[in-house]
Amino acid sequence: MIVTRNVSKTFNDVVALHDVTLNVAKGAIFGLVGTNGAGKSTLLRLLAGIYRPNVGELTIDGESVWENLAVKQRLYYISDEQYFFANTTPLETAHYYLNIYPKFDIQRFTELMTGFELPLQRKINTFSKGMKKQLSVILGLAANTDYIFCDETFDGLDPVMRNAVKSLFAAEVADRGLTPIIASHNLRELEDICDHVGLLHRGGVLLEKDIDEMKLGAGKVQCVLPEGADIESLGLDIVVRDRRGSLLTIIARGTPEEIASRISALRPIFMEVLPLTLEEFFIMETEVAGYDVKTLFI
Amino acid sequence: MITIDYKDRRPIYQQLMEKIEELAASGLIRPDEQLPSVRGLAVELAINPNTIQRAYGELEKKGIVYSVPGRGSFLASGQETLLAINRERSRQELAKLAARAKTFGLSRADFLADAAAAYDEGGTEQ
Repeated sequence: MIVTRNVSKTFNDVVALHDVTLNVAKGAIFGLVGTNGAGKSTLLRLLAGIYRPNVGELTIDGESVWENLAVKQRLYYISDEQYFFANTTPLETAHYYLNIYPKFDIQRFTELMTGFELPLQRKINTFSKGMKKQLSVILGLAANTDYIFCDETFDGLDPVMRNAVKSLFAAEVADRGLTPIIASHNLRELEDICDHVGLLHRGGVLLEKDIDEMKLGAGKVQCVLPEGADIESLGLDIVVRDRRGSLLTIIARGTPEEIASRISALRPIFMEVLPLTLEEFFIMETEVAGYDVKTLFI
Repeated sequence: MITIDYKDRRPIYQQLMEKIEELAASGLIRPDEQLPSVRGLAVELAINPNTIQRAYGELEKKGIVYSVPGRGSFLASGQETLLAINRERSRQELAKLAARAKTFGLSRADFLADAAAAYDEGGTEQ
């Protein structure tokens, strides 16, 4: 269980995170979403114990992370910019990690390397960007930690690799309750693998929710109503409304079924109710919160 | 056997439930047959095991699936369950057809006549 309480982090006069309160349950796959500069990387670095919060409390299973070796041995952080020691090979790197992570599984490491067709004995500086990313993921999985923090990790992988890595994560979650936190600005990337999502915006948490509840928490309706029917008379919690000719598009809170049955009472000539995509949901919430981020996720 | 449509806007667990109900209704999974394991399916589809657990849990609540601790989930036996699934499915299909018929201005009587004719002609599945 990861808990942050009113965490703030500033660099000189730049406020990177402000008053962040988040809970991540064990065994969940948590997606950290946000625009560029929202504070995703800063939050991951705080969780990894690389930064120390200026204000607030940040604990993993009840213990503070900063300078706490016992906790840090149980987490693995995959930075968005990979760093490897100069002139080392993957095998040498694995042996280095063997000294750091008590549960590092060298056999699993070599198996995964073979599976991904990566050379064990070639210098890492000859690897492509994507190969380095794969190597980081393999090292992270072989480290056998309870938590793994991925900063834009999926973004540099090709579709086949991305799927393979997702499968590996799924297996680790099922087998031993691994808790991944995946930061990304790509919502579609997170939609299929995460069960909880936190949205960061301008250094703060806008919302944190179960992904399915989110999808079922609002619906998008396109309908054509008969002459004289008034959508406002239904008492629906309509957040967004748009009319083009006779076609009315609304986004309302409530499950899609509820919304559909309410509108049916008006005997619509045509009606289609769809759950929201994560993208639409976030745009809706950010607009309601008074931010204009309409164009940012497109 | 089970696939996920990423363009489908519904939650993945609902899609999974529907797929399993379809497999049960069409007889591809038989009563008391074991469903794919949570882990196996998660790895195969590259999706979250918690999502699959949720789908199985919801199916259990509906009485379509039962679980044996330590062994996995199985399809519940009983013709009523299958009949109920099939009926529900055909209702949904009908609702879609009716909505379309309405949009094109087909009358209720004509729609019902067509439905009756289709039922009589299509006694056996093609």
